[in-house]
Amino acid sequence: MKDRIKEIIDYLKKKKVDYADIRHQKTSLEDIRVKNNTVEALSRNEDQGFGIRVIKNGAWGFAASSILSPEEMKRVSDTACEIAEASALTKKEDVRLTPTEIHQDKYQSQYQKDPFKVSIDTKIGLLLDACAIIQKNPKVKVAEGSMSFFKTEKVFASTEGAFIEQSILESGAGIIATAVEGSEAQRRSYPNSFRGDYASRGYEFVEQLKLLENAERVREEAVELLSSPPLPEMETTIIISGNQMALQVHESCGHPTELDRVLGTEISLAGGSFMTLDKINQLKYGSEKVSIVADATIPGGLGSFGYDDEGVKAQRAYLVKDGLFVGYQTSRETAAVLNQQSNGTMRAEGWNRIPLIRMTNINLEPGEWELEDLIKDTKEGVFLDINKSWSIDDKRLNFQFGVEACWEIKNGKLGKTYKNAIYTGITPQFWNSCDAICNRKHWRIWGVPNCGKGEPMQTMHVAHGTSPARFRNVKVGVSK
Amino acid sequence: MIGKDKILSLLSSVLKKAEADSADAVYIGGESGLTRFANSTIHQNVSERNSRVYFRAIIGKKIGVASTNSFIREDLEKALYNAIEIAKNQKENPDFPGLPHQQDYSKINTYFEKTARFTPIQRAEEAKKIFDQAQAFNLTVAGSFSNGDTEIAVVNSNHVACYQPLTTAYINLVVMGDNSSGYADQLSRNVDDIKMEELTQTAIRKCMDSKNPKDVDAGEYPVILEPSAVAALVEWMNYIGFGSKSFQEGTSFLSNRIGKKIMGDNVTMYDDGTDESAIAFPFDFEGVPKQKVMLIEKGLAKGVVYDSISAHKDKVKSTGHALTPDSAEGGLALNLFIEGGDSSLDGMIKSAEKAILITRFHYINGLLDTNNAVLTGMTRDGTFWVEDGKIKHGIKNLRFTESMLKAFSNVRLITKERKIINSWWGDVGCIVAPAMLIDNFKFTGKTEF
Repeated sequence: MKDRIKEIIDYLKKKKVDYADIRHQKTSLEDIRVKNNTVEALSRNEDQGFGIRVIKNGAWGFAASSILSPEEMKRVSDTACEIAEASALTKKEDVRLTPTEIHQDKYQSQYQKDPFKVSIDTKIGLLLDACAIIQKNPKVKVAEGSMSFFKTEKVFASTEGAFIEQSILESGAGIIATAVEGSEAQRRSYPNSFRGDYASRGYEFVEQLKLLENAERVREEAVELLSSPPLPEMETTIIISGNQMALQVHESCGHPTELDRVLGTEISLAGGSFMTLDKINQLKYGSEKVSIVADATIPGGLGSFGYDDEGVKAQRAYLVKDGLFVGYQTSRETAAVLNQQSNGTMRAEGWNRIPLIRMTNINLEPGEWELEDLIKDTKEGVFLDINKSWSIDDKRLNFQFGVEACWEIKNGKLGKTYKNAIYTGITPQFWNSCDAICNRKHWRIWGVPNCGKGEPMQTMHVAHGTSPARFRNVKVGVSK
Repeated sequence: MIGKDKILSLLSSVLKKAEADSADAVYIGGESGLTRFANSTIHQNVSERNSRVYFRAIIGKKIGVASTNSFIREDLEKALYNAIEIAKNQKENPDFPGLPHQQDYSKINTYFEKTARFTPIQRAEEAKKIFDQAQAFNLTVAGSFSNGDTEIAVVNSNHVACYQPLTTAYINLVVMGDNSSGYADQLSRNVDDIKMEELTQTAIRKCMDSKNPKDVDAGEYPVILEPSAVAALVEWMNYIGFGSKSFQEGTSFLSNRIGKKIMGDNVTMYDDGTDESAIAFPFDFEGVPKQKVMLIEKGLAKGVVYDSISAHKDKVKSTGHALTPDSAEGGLALNLFIEGGDSSLDGMIKSAEKAILITRFHYINGLLDTNNAVLTGMTRDGTFWVEDGKIKHGIKNLRFTESMLKAFSNVRLITKERKIINSWWGDVGCIVAPAMLIDNFKFTGKTEF
């Protein structure tokens, strides 16, 4: 395949393209879903193909195919060029890519145990055991467990001379207890909702999640929620758990700092951003406690890699520093608008999709508080844990997030449980009300395997490093 | 296009090698193109040729699934072998009733040659005309225009062998001004049906009419929901409530409510994959013919849709709503219809003393309280204040948080005319929705634009 890729790069050069790259990608996916005593789905999917991206006549074209013959690769090259010529019909100016260092390199994500070599019995057994614990309370109607493993081999080559091979292994798992009584259902998940937590690691990551040790707790918390009152509507202090903070960072900082959104190129589907070009180094995004960084270099993060899908080396870049909005996530094309270099965030879901600016590991830097001290320091408020619902406007200002569980905080102690809790706000006002963030001891990276963007839709694996944080004067409990 | 004979014969031939009690294969493949634009220029323009073949091997009641995106015999045989190996190591699924047997399917036309062959140049030329029309008003356009063909086939060891070729064309337009925007879209199996000029003018008009939007406080208002807005609500209701999984797990708003009145007399919703007037598709991914299923009939909760396994659990027959074999989601309604009434959009506006007219919603989520079908979301791309029977001005976007059981109990008027709205299910599904006037719709917040 490497030789065919090099031949196609030569072929594209002869077609006098302004620029071209080719990406061959092969992915194996294993997916296991257990419900109660039954393995509901157990599948292994193989996927491979290549995509060719060209700039010709100053405009973009992209074509992709799952057929790997030399003839098909030439046909796809020709199609990509024809598409670029069609794009050029409406261009206002030529596409300009900011220069980047050209790499010939290999990258391999680190892991200890290859999950594809762990027996199916072992994997199913762990999930069935966890479900058996969850089912021990008769009010739990559904016990669910899931695992997914991804192995991706990528080769990227460009007419500029880049040739990069990457191999990335990802693993994840989670459990859910759903308790039902009459027409009321309540759910608790571990370690996070929407099928758990994920990392660029091997089966050792699943083992370290301690699913069995947490099954009883999620069971009892789900049952307790059935008889809990709904969170009343009020304005109060909130402490948000680390996993819900991951969602908060994702929606209200990750997406609005994607420079393609800011420049309007995602308007038709996901929308734009309130963090417009005039606001850089001007907008007080949050309190001075708030620093947020895009970091693709952290070992094990689900948003970690060696090089992005434009061949730009993985980087660490501040988006918000001490509360001030200081930077975007960029690509070679969008960075050129700012006369900057790309900070390497262009990734595609697969061989058949163009790379877009995608979050890497977008991390809220840890503060100084112990969680116990933070709760003790809070006279009145609520503690919110694990995301249940999420919605935000198309410029990422007005958000409303729901959580699985909520506990009252009174005089520095956790009290009764509330169900169906939501909180809502306007992004910069909200982040400016942050007065405390927990320390590194409470900080961890949460893998998010389902971030959607683009047309055709692309689902990307991203991550967020967060610890619990406190916010003042937040509107909560406006569910109905 | 590979063609019916080649697909069915290769899959059948590979399945014959299955060392399992039974097996099936699902083929989904085709070619598609999508031209995406923003700031009145094409910035993304893509083409794809791809396929996927799923094999499901059954040993006793143990099921293994494997798939490949190669249509080469040796890769297909390897995928089938993987499915068999997985089945051998699986646990029994007591709810598996066996694979379906050969059945008759509705003969419907879902393929239009011109739609399959519409080129990137043709898409770009249409886009340019749209940009020029918007430019006349100093407006810019974002959106996408896509077309393509797909072949879907299901073959199993019980002699099921069904095949359907289909095409789809879809365009969406967001016309942008300084502080307003307007939206229009259209989905069809036939690209000739797409009314470019009309869509462009609609999006331009909405953008112009919503210039300098005014603030409206959160609270309860009558709303006039255009078909895109109605469909977005129903799409989420489908996800949380019309499928067998949520129903059986007790999280659906239909759980424990079948036969009970949960919406107004004037609300009927059903699924019908065989209605050729929309995005029809005659069988599901197990090869079971699609049945018309009443979900809500005159406000009464009537039922949900099933695949084979979930149907067996409830001792009923599959309604032909299985998803692909790697899914654990049970049956899901992909071809939703909301019955029309006798009103018109103009009539609704004229009848309204005060109301908010909503073109579409953004980023709805319905997972907070699924048993009560509580959804939240934002308005977007054309939200208007209606007073004394007239559209007065644009308003800034609002957040709603509302139970759909309450909302669809408060429907005052429904239009006769319905529109085919694009859904999450791409080539094999859609939502056919009218516009609705709904009283006491609750807005819980607002944004700054």
